[in-house]
Amino acid sequence: MTKKLRIYIPFASNELKRQLAYKGAFYLFIFISLFGAFIQYFLWMAIYGSTDNASLGGLTQNEMIVYVFMVYVTSSMVMITISDWVSEDVVKGMVAMNLIKPIDYRASLISRAMGQAVYRFLVPGVFIWIGLEIYKVKVLGMSVTSITNILLYLVSCIMSFLICVLFDFCFGMVAFFTTYIFGMLMAKEALMSFLTGQLIPLSFFPGIVQKVFDFLPFSSMVYTPVMIYLGKYSGSELYFVLGRQLVWVVILYVLGSIIWKQVTKRLVVLGG
Amino acid sequence: MIEVKHISKDFVSPKKYPGLKGAIKGLFSNEKVVKKAVDDISFTIKDGEIVGYIGSNGAGKSTTIKMMTGILAPTDGECLVNSINPSKQRKENAQNIGVVFGQRTQLWWDLPLSESFTILKEIYNVSDEDYKERMEFLNNVLELSEFFDRPVRTLSLGQRMRADLGAALLHNPKVLYLDEPTIGLDLVVKDNIRKAIKEINEKYQTTVILTTHDIGDIEELCSRIIIIDEGKKIYDGSLEALKDTYGTKRKVSMEVKKPEKLKNLDLAGKLGVSLKDCEMEFDKENNLLSVTFDKHKLQVPQVMNAVMDVTEVKDIQIQETELAEIVKEIYNHGLADEAV
Repeated sequence: MTKKLRIYIPFASNELKRQLAYKGAFYLFIFISLFGAFIQYFLWMAIYGSTDNASLGGLTQNEMIVYVFMVYVTSSMVMITISDWVSEDVVKGMVAMNLIKPIDYRASLISRAMGQAVYRFLVPGVFIWIGLEIYKVKVLGMSVTSITNILLYLVSCIMSFLICVLFDFCFGMVAFFTTYIFGMLMAKEALMSFLTGQLIPLSFFPGIVQKVFDFLPFSSMVYTPVMIYLGKYSGSELYFVLGRQLVWVVILYVLGSIIWKQVTKRLVVLGG
Repeated sequence: MIEVKHISKDFVSPKKYPGLKGAIKGLFSNEKVVKKAVDDISFTIKDGEIVGYIGSNGAGKSTTIKMMTGILAPTDGECLVNSINPSKQRKENAQNIGVVFGQRTQLWWDLPLSESFTILKEIYNVSDEDYKERMEFLNNVLELSEFFDRPVRTLSLGQRMRADLGAALLHNPKVLYLDEPTIGLDLVVKDNIRKAIKEINEKYQTTVILTTHDIGDIEELCSRIIIIDEGKKIYDGSLEALKDTYGTKRKVSMEVKKPEKLKNLDLAGKLGVSLKDCEMEFDKENNLLSVTFDKHKLQVPQVMNAVMDVTEVKDIQIQETELAEIVKEIYNHGLADEAV
């Protein structure tokens, strides 16, 4: 088992190195993604400023600030688009180069994604996180998030990451049939920003819609860990959301294996 | 040992119609076109052989290689590489093979070459000792050290190809598949690559299967060749046998002094053979008369005498049919149809 894992470590560490090799993209990414988070921040400030309610969708103004920035930290860390890599491999005919090696294609992609997740966690994730905690205590007068919540959040994040990459792997398999998935990728991103709660907390949706969202894997991707971080779940509810994440990891893992088997059977390698 | 038994591969694609109208029609039609890329091919390759697998563009060479490496699953038939079925046990098979696709790279594009080798060392589980020994050997034959620390994307095509070959050999594979390993390379690099392949084959008894369009590769490396055309095997045997069977034509070119005297010359009739076995061609600009004839039916002096009877000859050149010509002939006419 350890030997098997060792094979994939270089994929993760190389992705990390690859990311660091492009310095311009490195700084631009931090800047652009922070920009988006601040737009969200100011938007919510305006919304809370124009209402008399103390809380909207179950979140107070201060909690909303934490929500916006933690969604940013979480999603940049767990939402790695491996379908992009799959499509690139398909278009360039590089799938073949992966298949000639004694490795599992999906495991190598996930390892790569892990490298990127670590990178995203280091810059700028962890700094924004610390900055947010300081802001929370000094300016908003809230208490520091408890160690238990931080640990539960991290556990939930790991499962979120697995759900995201396993789902995206299944999605990426579409590339084998359509070759080019850029358009679908854009559509997926737009839809997911809704379904995962990145754009609006899921608690803002009407009850029935929330029930539907609960049945989809997307709510487990970003919304669940952030709400855990905010301490919105307790007791059996906490076990339930964590259990639901685990179930999705298993379902998507099995689904991905089945699709991959079908795909390799009717695989057409482009070019050459 | 590699056994390929009645292997076939069909590619199914939606039918396309011409023009804009056709494009719209294509949206609604469900018709499929089946293309047989490989059609019932069988052969056996022994350990340590170097086999040239040749055919015109689109003949199905790469498809066969891809089935032997486990990338594609055959539609029909079976392939066994050292008694492992590559399409069913892809990872086990991958551990024992090395593959170079000349038009692609298996190296990590953004990273220094040395990193790619470290990753491959882990992937194939090569021990430190073996790694050291292999690297020394590969450095000797492929001279990797001069660009070992540079990112792969900055390498020239020749360097990249050497690096790719090295990467395919790091884990000492029993079988090496080379899909056009010398494509786009200059003569010196080509020569180095060929030498390297030869050395590896001799030192480690590596079985090499090589597809190429370069006749030089075949002449220098392969003891046996398999020719396929339109997915069917049309020749399988030694290079010498191919030359003996098909290389029967000889060409004599003569620069003549008085070309006008050739007008009424009927060489074939004069020598008593059919026109097919003695073709004449005349290049007016250079006053060059070329006679192509069957070497089993006529001798060079006979032809020369016959021409010199009519006019004086200034210069003579004699050519054997080259392998390139034979292969061209086979691609064009399917000469080997008769042989099968």
